[in-house]
Amino acid sequence: MKASAAGVGLGPGATGVVSPGSMKPTKVSGAKHEERWAYALLVMPAVLVYWAVMAFPAFFSVGLSLTNYNGGPLWSSMNPVKFIGLSNYIKMLRDPFFSVSLKNNMLIILVSVFGQIPLGFILAYVLSRRLVGLRDFFQSMIYVPTVISTIVVGILWQSIFSPYGPITEIMQQLNPMWENTLFINPRTAMIPVLIVILWMYTGTYLIIFLANLQKIDPEVIEAAKIDGATEWQALRYVILPALSGVVVTSAILAISGSLQSFSLIFAMTAGNPARRTSVLSLYMYDAAFRGAPDYGLANAISTFIVALSLVLIALLKFVENRAGGREE
Amino acid sequence: MKRETSLPARVLLYSVLLIFTFMTLYPVFWLIMSSFKTTQEFQVNRLGLPRRWILTNYPLAWKIGGFGHLFINSIIYTVGSTLAVVLLSLSAGFAFAKIKSRATPFLHGSFVIGILLSAEAVLIPLFLMANAAGLTDTRIGILLPYIGMGMPKGIYLCTEYIKSIPDSLVESARIDGASYPRIFASIIAPMAKPVATTLAILNVTGVWNEFMLVNVLTSKASLKSLPVGILKFSGALSSDYGKQFAALAVGMLPMLIFYAIFRNQITKGVSAGAVKG
Amino acid sequence: MSFGKSVLRVVAAFTLLVSLFLVGASAAAADPIVLRVLYYFDATSPGAQRELTEVWEAFDKANPDIKVVREDLFNEPFHQKTEIYAATGQLPDVIYMWPGGRSSTLHTKKLVKDLAPLLGEARSEFSEAALAPQAAGYLAELPIGITLTHVLFANQKLLKDLGLTIPKTYEELKAMVPKIKAAGKDAILMGAQDDWVMQSCLYSMIVGRMLGDAYVDKLIEGTAKFTDAPFVNTLKFYKQLYTDGVLSAKSLQTPYNEVNGLFASGKAVFMIDGDWKVGNFLTDITTGQALIPPEQQKGIVMTVFPEIPGEINHRTSSSVVGVGFGMNANIPAGSEKEKAAWKLIMWLNSPEVQRERLETGAAFPSRKGVTSDRLEPLAQTRAKFYGEYGGTYVLDNVLEASVYLPINVGLQEIGLGLATPEQVAANTQKAYDAWKAAQK
Repeated sequence: MKASAAGVGLGPGATGVVSPGSMKPTKVSGAKHEERWAYALLVMPAVLVYWAVMAFPAFFSVGLSLTNYNGGPLWSSMNPVKFIGLSNYIKMLRDPFFSVSLKNNMLIILVSVFGQIPLGFILAYVLSRRLVGLRDFFQSMIYVPTVISTIVVGILWQSIFSPYGPITEIMQQLNPMWENTLFINPRTAMIPVLIVILWMYTGTYLIIFLANLQKIDPEVIEAAKIDGATEWQALRYVILPALSGVVVTSAILAISGSLQSFSLIFAMTAGNPARRTSVLSLYMYDAAFRGAPDYGLANAISTFIVALSLVLIALLKFVENRAGGREE
Repeated sequence: MKRETSLPARVLLYSVLLIFTFMTLYPVFWLIMSSFKTTQEFQVNRLGLPRRWILTNYPLAWKIGGFGHLFINSIIYTVGSTLAVVLLSLSAGFAFAKIKSRATPFLHGSFVIGILLSAEAVLIPLFLMANAAGLTDTRIGILLPYIGMGMPKGIYLCTEYIKSIPDSLVESARIDGASYPRIFASIIAPMAKPVATTLAILNVTGVWNEFMLVNVLTSKASLKSLPVGILKFSGALSSDYGKQFAALAVGMLPMLIFYAIFRNQITKGVSAGAVKG
Repeated sequence: MSFGKSVLRVVAAFTLLVSLFLVGASAAAADPIVLRVLYYFDATSPGAQRELTEVWEAFDKANPDIKVVREDLFNEPFHQKTEIYAATGQLPDVIYMWPGGRSSTLHTKKLVKDLAPLLGEARSEFSEAALAPQAAGYLAELPIGITLTHVLFANQKLLKDLGLTIPKTYEELKAMVPKIKAAGKDAILMGAQDDWVMQSCLYSMIVGRMLGDAYVDKLIEGTAKFTDAPFVNTLKFYKQLYTDGVLSAKSLQTPYNEVNGLFASGKAVFMIDGDWKVGNFLTDITTGQALIPPEQQKGIVMTVFPEIPGEINHRTSSSVVGVGFGMNANIPAGSEKEKAAWKLIMWLNSPEVQRERLETGAAFPSRKGVTSDRLEPLAQTRAKFYGEYGGTYVLDNVLEASVYLPINVGLQEIGLGLATPEQVAANTQKAYDAWKAAQK
């Protein structure tokens, strides 16, 4: 973010009156005072609510991840909470299901970043350039899945991929010896989940790209075309550079969304068989709500999820800077 | 319209689009069909048309689930939190973007990190706090977390958008003696309508389908929302598929209608909001 | 200076909105005793509507001095809410719970009270098996029924068509497999995508047959190890089922309720599940339809798994008391509230309520002498089934949650070929040792 954008009054055109940003408080303390007052008035409600219900509980959760708290009233002599350092994190790292969940999460991130985003972009491009007909219809067909409840989607696809479901029946029509081992084979267990995720969320990126493509002046593209550029060249040299910022924003949304993905997989497989389709958020849910609840572990996992998102996004920003794709 | 794309490319494009079309229409169709079957029929005829159309699943689900007041609650939570998220995000976004303050990087940064937090991550502390504050089982106790959860994305989008509004507009209004709240109300808010729409849409779909927070933070049936009601019907162990699908269809239709009505705004709105990062 | 009327207006509107919402939430002050109840309510069950009016509303009418505030939840949201209440010490007065398994927290933290003193004289009205001590060693919930978690359902007609009879020994069952497969059918159906199914409906029975409850008690005490040969052998036999083709790994990706329709339409000769599965096949009073019509129900046999080589208990299933209602341990003994809560629990276990559950196939009564003359053939078969077979422990009812979880997942891993019996045994022992160490 550019520093200049955040400040006011650094631009030209201030007729006689000095802009507040460059003023000394002692000189025009009234205006400065009002500015502070206005800032507080505008920001305070949002900050208060957000800090109360999100930021503070999040810190609280990080704090609990360092203790042996496992339910019951806090700060009571009956139930003393002890600081136990990183034990919960060590427990998490040693758990084989943690690495399975982490690996599956990485697969989902890969499908999101290298599947949904490119696919969303290509489809948006094709639709906005009117390279196919029925534009509005297809746009709806790609976007609607994002508004259908994940429970419906989960139950439906569970039935479809079941060993007695239609996919098995169709395949057995073609080859009677075919056995549906998709979920049984741990190497392929995630495939149905990934297909559904690809289908379900591509619409989000389609809409984002579609919208931003509309901001590019069509005349620029036409001009390039007249200069002899092919469709591909126009895409490569005119459109893509103009959208690199959007790609990064999309990738951030994709990474944080993937790491939070829960309800779809929960409805579809609940992480089974043998937890081989588990993801981090499901792993956390299991720790907090199934069998023997372990809140310390659950809090450690959720802290890890946030830390991982931060690392991945930092990595993304690093790659972006190295690639020099930043346009202004 | 010129057709520069080659034939194989077009075949490929159309097949991808048709796959999407099929994968989208079929679940909706399947859900509606299944909601007209008895559970007995569904279990032996999962994918075909109903052999006998059963209309009673809907009234039964509506009545047993008490969907009437759940529906009203869902609307209250969705509309209430969306209004608040939009208003608060715009006002804070305005301050972050146009009023210089040393507090901005820290405050704004705290919101941006919020994008990475999920509801599950704060569930238990939130419940402990709500209890301590006596806010469990109140509408405000549900609205506040919804507002808080909607804000990170909201502030991120609004700040970015308002930054793209020229500073000169704000300055000349200042010269004319307008206060910041006045500038917000008369200049920024009207200009930020597109980003407000985007934000409203994101928040509406998010809150409408949310169940974990509302389930945990309320125990009175009179305060729960539609997704909680629907989950009384659905899940691995439910014993009647017909009613389950009727309940799910009841939950899905408002969102489809919402999409149909706001389809154009969605594209335009996102266009305005999804600025480069 | 002017702060802008519009802003004031916005603030005023927002305050108004907030206060409007707040009004809706205020509760009426109550003179009667208020009972908070957390209830597991399957809104799709055939008896759901009847239950609301005939059980709950009827209680309200009969007891104007008690006000029941009920929270109905189902499936995962129910468990979520229970854990949250337990974690924060906000448990309701009366709570629906399992004798172990998913209600572990309530038992192990002793959040509900022993109901035996309250039961008093009425004890004789219930079958003694239903009142057996539960996970924490006392009567934490009054079960509405008794359950046999392992049943081998057989399709008699299909067997006859293939020229087969119900197997007496495992060898006989194994020998039938090629013939069944050749006919394009599956041998045994199980909807075991969820990990509790294999353990509850099959493996607990195997452990009961091969080791017996006394040995499981030793495992719990720590005088025997999960890594010792006897326990490992039960896992080896379980693995054998896959090697012999008796069970298919397909079971592990079959959703739990999908087998109902498959078995009813003759996709397989056998199905292994709990006795409660019967409810899915009976006539649904809301639609008048049955997955297996009454005249065909006679062709369904309910038996148990054939003799396992080396078994010490013969023809046993695994059994557990059913779900029921518990009472918050914080309610003072002898208080009016306790009386009211107990009244409700007994109401929910009245002979009338239990008869209705018997008829819809929801549960087999825990009360003595509850019968009905309106039972369909399969429900009658089920009633007889209880008299014919004894039951051993269900593992998730007697072991700690952290100890049975590696077994649940391990059973799936063995089926998928991801782990050996020895590895699963070792993981279980490790979990046991960790639990034991945490007790000190």
